[in-house]
Amino acid sequence: MTKSSKNTVNMSTVNKKIVLGGILLLALMLVVVSILLRPAPQDLTLRFHPFVGDKPLRLNTQSYKNPGGEGEFTIRDFQLFISNIVLSFPTNPIYEQESYHLLRFDGKNTFGQLVIPKINLSNLSQLSFGIGIDPKANGSLMFSGDLDPNSRMAWNWQVGYKFLLLEGTLTVNNQQLPLVYHIGFDESYSELNFDLAKEDMTGNGVINFKIDLRRLFQSSDTDSKQLTNLKPANKVEYMDMSEIPHVKFSPDDVKAIAAGFHDFISLCDLSPRREFSPCH
Amino acid sequence: MKASTIVVAIAVIFIATAIYYLENKAPNTHPVEFTAPFVFGRFNVPDNNPLTQESVLLGRRLFYDPILSRNHQVSCATCHKQALAFTDGLKTSVGVSGIPLKFNAMSLVNLMWGPQHFFWDGRVSSLEAQAIEPIKHVNEMARNIKQLLMELNNDEDYKKLFKQAYGEISEQSITKALANFQRTLISANSRYDQYLRGEISLTPIENQGRKLFMAHPDTKVILRGGNCIDCHSQFLTSGFASKFDGFSNNGLDNDETLQAGLFTLTQNEAHRGLFKAPTLRNIAVTAPYMHDGRFTTLEQVLAHYNGGIKRSKTLSPLIIEADNIAKTQIDHISLNLNDNEITAIIAFLHTLTDDEFLTNSAFSNPFMAASDDD
Repeated sequence: MTKSSKNTVNMSTVNKKIVLGGILLLALMLVVVSILLRPAPQDLTLRFHPFVGDKPLRLNTQSYKNPGGEGEFTIRDFQLFISNIVLSFPTNPIYEQESYHLLRFDGKNTFGQLVIPKINLSNLSQLSFGIGIDPKANGSLMFSGDLDPNSRMAWNWQVGYKFLLLEGTLTVNNQQLPLVYHIGFDESYSELNFDLAKEDMTGNGVINFKIDLRRLFQSSDTDSKQLTNLKPANKVEYMDMSEIPHVKFSPDDVKAIAAGFHDFISLCDLSPRREFSPCH
Repeated sequence: MKASTIVVAIAVIFIATAIYYLENKAPNTHPVEFTAPFVFGRFNVPDNNPLTQESVLLGRRLFYDPILSRNHQVSCATCHKQALAFTDGLKTSVGVSGIPLKFNAMSLVNLMWGPQHFFWDGRVSSLEAQAIEPIKHVNEMARNIKQLLMELNNDEDYKKLFKQAYGEISEQSITKALANFQRTLISANSRYDQYLRGEISLTPIENQGRKLFMAHPDTKVILRGGNCIDCHSQFLTSGFASKFDGFSNNGLDNDETLQAGLFTLTQNEAHRGLFKAPTLRNIAVTAPYMHDGRFTTLEQVLAHYNGGIKRSKTLSPLIIEADNIAKTQIDHISLNLNDNEITAIIAFLHTLTDDEFLTNSAFSNPFMAASDDD
């Protein structure tokens, strides 16, 4: 009896130990699982697909219709500054540091892209960035991000940077006309905002944008930029490139082209049901 | 017996390890300290070739030593003379074969900045890779590398210098040393630099030339320009560093005579006839000009941009478009600068001459320096 009662006591001690151990193990597992399930920081890639209207941009080899006139044009180079990227979440926004990115389209890929490393991307609800260089940086000699006063995108220290560089050739009736669009000036700096839905970002953290170069040549006779924004692409009126083949320092011409900055980048609609701005 | 074997074995291993360690230990080197204007921007030195005093000392000696050539008569300095900003004054250079080369000798200055593609056609992408080519080239130095290594190994001075810099004599350490000596060739005290630092004023004509240099003309806003800035960056005055932005077709030839240029490297038709935009630092002492040395004076160079441009498929649209008179003629490409403006641009180009660089004893022939001391 004594023996058996002793046994019972032993058994209950053992049971307690097992239960305690089980609870500890369970707690440990919960901790491990919660760490594993916590969204891991990943790279955010903003990928920009250049188009002229519905045709993908191919440097040198592909020709495109003069948007508002006769003849066809080719592009030999296109470069663009994207800056001051802000990522918005339900909680605190993230401001990228040294946020000056030069997009180029002369690499192996047909697109240009920039990567923001190691971001917790869940609940990313809005994205904004500037086209060009903000006035403070544009008037300085700083080396920050892709800013380089000795680069092709710099004019000289009194004038600042080209925000957009577009060079090519327009051919009308076998006559060739050089196209030079070097668009800068503080007034041209434009901020764009994009509300993001879940499907706008791929599983590996890529957000795809379409750049439509034709939008740079939409006629700005309408006083309000917002109006053109609402117009479907086929209702927009375009300029004749032969009448505005070079834009560098003439403020009115710069303004006319830079007005398109507000409209020429859009989120790619990758789903087939949507009508506008397919990227593939 | 057994214990003594173990003791001997341990001793042997210890001695072998010590010998191995002493033989292979990285040389004790000292970093080069140098300054450069912040407006030159960022630069990179390869991780596997830190800029050490020992490597520069060795590189300088190799640069001036004709031991690098088959006939022991041609050194790097034969075609890259300090007084001429490391050019040779010839239309195109001549090496051991006596047959003129295809290209004009490039000035060696501020090489850590600007395009990191070397030679006029950009065919190599590091100074180390560049350095071996003239040594091996049949018309330049025509050197058999095995033989060169043997001769260097028989030279007590070189054995010591190589050991201190890289630990060993090899093809790689030769090119690394030459690359590092060239990295130290920094020119930053021309009158233009002094002007940028606020130490001096330029004369009115030099300043007019500076403004023209820095401006792409735009007749719509009555801005006159020499359009130099479209290819030569504002502070370095070299081509642009990013990708192939530093290469351009500046209208020297028409389609029939257009040379390959950057096409040699990229095999991209859009790059046919594009050549590296050279630095303009010390340009007044580096005649003749262009990749084939076709122009003997700066006046001829300016005349080229002012009406001598030849059309070809890859000619820069920036050159076609740049005009100081509202475009009336399609066929004749010219900046349409007046004589006074041409004089002003040439006056500005002379402010890029850096006498301190051209006479700096740290860059001069170390063999001459040694004999001067005697």
